[in-house]
Amino acid sequence: MASSSSVLQDDSWLSRADRALLPVERVFALFSGLAVFSLMFLAAYSVTGRKFFNQPLNGYVDYIEAAMPVIAFMGVSYVQRFGGHIRMDMIIGKMRGRVLWALELLTVALVLVVILALIWGSWAHFDRSFDFTKPLWSRDSSIDIGIPMWPAKLLVPVAFSLLAVRLVLQIIGYGRALVLGLEHPVAVPLILTIEEQAMAEAAHLAEQE
Amino acid sequence: MDPISIGLWTTGGMLVLVLIGMRVAFAAGLAGFVGLFWLRWNGFDYDPAKFGKALTISVKIAGQVPHSKIAAQALSLIPTFILIGYLAYYAKLTTALFEAAKRWIAWVPGGLAVSTVFATAGFAAVSGASVATAAVFARIAIPEMLKIGYNKQFAAGVVAAGGTLASLIPPSAILVIYAIIVEQDVGKLLLAGFIPGAFSALIYAGLIIGIAMIFKNVGPPVSGFTWRERFAVLPPALPIVAVVVIIIFFVYNPFGDAWGTPTEGGAVGAFIVFLMALYRGMRWAQLKDALLETAKLTVMIFSIIWGVLIYVRFLGFADLPGVFSEWITSLDMAPLLILICILLAYAVLGMFMDAIGMLLLTLPVVYPAVMALNGGEYVTAADSAFGMNGTMCAIWFGILVVKMAEFCLITPPIGLNCFVVAGVRDDLTVQDVFKGVTPFFLADGVTIALLVAFPGIVLWLPSLVG
Repeated sequence: MASSSSVLQDDSWLSRADRALLPVERVFALFSGLAVFSLMFLAAYSVTGRKFFNQPLNGYVDYIEAAMPVIAFMGVSYVQRFGGHIRMDMIIGKMRGRVLWALELLTVALVLVVILALIWGSWAHFDRSFDFTKPLWSRDSSIDIGIPMWPAKLLVPVAFSLLAVRLVLQIIGYGRALVLGLEHPVAVPLILTIEEQAMAEAAHLAEQE
Repeated sequence: MDPISIGLWTTGGMLVLVLIGMRVAFAAGLAGFVGLFWLRWNGFDYDPAKFGKALTISVKIAGQVPHSKIAAQALSLIPTFILIGYLAYYAKLTTALFEAAKRWIAWVPGGLAVSTVFATAGFAAVSGASVATAAVFARIAIPEMLKIGYNKQFAAGVVAAGGTLASLIPPSAILVIYAIIVEQDVGKLLLAGFIPGAFSALIYAGLIIGIAMIFKNVGPPVSGFTWRERFAVLPPALPIVAVVVIIIFFVYNPFGDAWGTPTEGGAVGAFIVFLMALYRGMRWAQLKDALLETAKLTVMIFSIIWGVLIYVRFLGFADLPGVFSEWITSLDMAPLLILICILLAYAVLGMFMDAIGMLLLTLPVVYPAVMALNGGEYVTAADSAFGMNGTMCAIWFGILVVKMAEFCLITPPIGLNCFVVAGVRDDLTVQDVFKGVTPFFLADGVTIALLVAFPGIVLWLPSLVG
């Protein structure tokens, strides 16, 4: 289930930190959307050039490959903030109170483990192609027009680091809920029932009309 | 411990984590990373001095997967298709389609319901998202059907079922994902979805006409439109025709060379819908909303893709797919029977799990087994079990699996399309919608049986492309 969720707020420092991080995440996600948008123009430009003016756009594929990491990774933390990453909520959706918070805490902590490993690994991947002494600091470049590869590779550890900060906030949020036995903790995504999800989808479409 | 046992333990652990609610993308990534490390350290006989070395190696293998696998041209189709879908709302293509379908075909028995099915199929041509299609048409089509005395449950069922057509008719995001995971040609798969999608729509329409003719009180025809009125509603719906034609011609041009790549076709299609949306009054605030929504859905899909690819990297080392394939081919059953069992297993799994997550988690192991059943990747049609070569088998299986996945959008207990239709309409309960959608299960069953029995329906169009 692509479970969507809502996040509560109050005056605590945790909730303030949650809201402080949100604009950064939203800007990152908007970059991702804008990159998709620019792909569209790029293709229209490339096709028009090739078909009608016999002038194909040089390095079209290189541009796409450079844009893909922006599209794929920049929004990763924004989606985690709302609990949007796909999961099965058949079991966890039935849990309440401390059992629920314990399960959420466990799974989010495991996500942090894998993300920390990936920050390390993707940084190493970036580091292999980055060299201050080379032209454009680049040790490898794209095939057609030679764009340096390191900026696109750097995006992965950067986006994952933002996600790691978000995960730490969520760990604190679930941990607090577990220890204090809270009903409605702040700064963590709360599961919506499938009916609530459907209502949210409907409301969202109504807004757009 | 041998690699196979490590593979099984890690996979079992991953399934437990997914079951208790860990996000699929990260559970798969974690399983892949832990598995890679375990295999490596196992190779070092668990020597404590080499713990660090094993960890560094596995972190580096896992860490290069996200960037190196995602920076691929073919994958850019997914965000483009998603963007087309969001822009299509603002281009007001849904109302245009429904009006056109109503004036042209509502004169048949069950007219408005048939029009709804064709309008949803048409909208599917600009949107790859089933749930959104169901939500939009619940708003437009159900009120019109109720106004002329349709049964409430039946009207809701038509919309919920019609929404599922989006995942086969191009542009279908889920077919692109399948193509990437099994490393097949994206263009051919997109082409292959076209006829089965249209075929499903025809079966739905036939079913509705049949019901309307037997039960006279269900779905009276609507007539009385003049030819002038009919032609007047066509222009607003034209961008849809343009998008379909463009995407198909970019992959396969019956009159000469293809116009380009599917990637370009998708992007040019998006551009046309974007211009249409601007013309229909879309402003920056709405565009920003569309871009953010596109980013969200794209990231959700891509996260699972790279997560699963880390897991696949590990699976390759552990040779689990190879062992599973050997086991499947050694079974003393007809290959077709095994294939049908696999499809039924997907039907059951899909009742409880999101389609994209389900396909991505299972395909790395199931797909090689199906290929092996047919006789391997490079088998010729003459030597194969299903009477088709390896490439064609990959396409056929992809369409079958995606059709199963969309079937699950209307099955209880969590058929999301039904919940969405009930969510949009205050006067309908989920039970009403599930009741109304029941005849369409049968229709889907017939469709799937026909696609299995006559693979030509799927394979004719892609076989035209070299």
